Amino acid sequence: MSDRVLHAPPDLELFAADRPEIEDALSRRINADPENVQRGLAQLVLTVVELLRQIMERQALRRIDGDTLSEEQVERLGRTFMELDKRLEELRLEFGLDEEDLNINLGPLGNLL
Amino acid sequence: MIDLIAITDHPGPPLPGSLSLRAVPVDGLTAVCAPAEREDATVDALWRREETIEALMADRDLLPVRYGTRLEDDAAAARAVTERRAELGAALDRVRGAVELSLRVIAADDPGEARADDETGGRTRSGADYIRAKACLVARRDAGVRTLHEPLSTLARASVKRPPRPPLELLRVAYLVDRPAVEGFTALVARAQRSSPGLRLLLTGPWPPYSFAER
Repeated sequence: MSDRVLHAPPDLELFAADRPEIEDALSRRINADPENVQRGLAQLVLTVVELLRQIMERQALRRIDGDTLSEEQVERLGRTFMELDKRLEELRLEFGLDEEDLNINLGPLGNLL
Repeated sequence: MIDLIAITDHPGPPLPGSLSLRAVPVDGLTAVCAPAEREDATVDALWRREETIEALMADRDLLPVRYGTRLEDDAAAARAVTERRAELGAALDRVRGAVELSLRVIAADDPGEARADDETGGRTRSGADYIRAKACLVARRDAGVRTLHEPLSTLARASVKRPPRPPLELLRVAYLVDRPAVEGFTALVARAQRSSPGLRLLLTGPWPPYSFAER
């Protein structure tokens, strides 16, 4: 594969984050013990919450760009997203999920996020 | 049973001998077939398939066929190609003389700069600071990606954007590039890397035109 690299940065390992994925895709099994079910459910719920957070954040950034908000409103929005970000990260760590886990591969439709 | 590997022109150069490939000519096209893989899909089997297609790609234009396309025999392969003769011919024309290059771009600037738990000089940052830092980061990345993709896409025959993988990946594109233009394309990517210190660019290829085999 290395002979197929035409241009790479010196810190190539940054790109290696999703390398184990081929194996995962080939050996996907449903593991139905209680602990995994809980984790799977948490993963699904947190993914949906993360999706909503990203959509709302994009919307908020657009409104800030549009200069239609007062300084107080910007502060309130910022605080809300800051808290949401923090809380979501706490939950993610509690369930032992990586940032990458909060994404679902929808096959031909690509990733959810 | 046989596996359908690729569609190429007919006549074409001789098939690489070591791979037990067989050419089934069909009305100006060739269906390149191999004895069906006995084992399930494994990483090794996928690599073997990739090596086979790359060996074919070295001296001919081709459409890679989706992995796992299994048919009864040569006659079934010929029927399958005949049914879609016009579509396959047009697709082969589209990729003729070109290869696929894959570009991935990730952010190397600190994504933590807009983190919730940041403290600036001992005091917790304000909500406004937090969201403005985020807005700034998003705008900088969007602009970086745009200035990168536009000149590259003018050098390519076609391009297909794939959804990037969060949190760091910003861009994932397949470019269909004329074989003689690969060197120039690579040089342009290297130049783009030098002028984008906040991004990391990985360009790989040449690959078979996987992203351009279907419209």
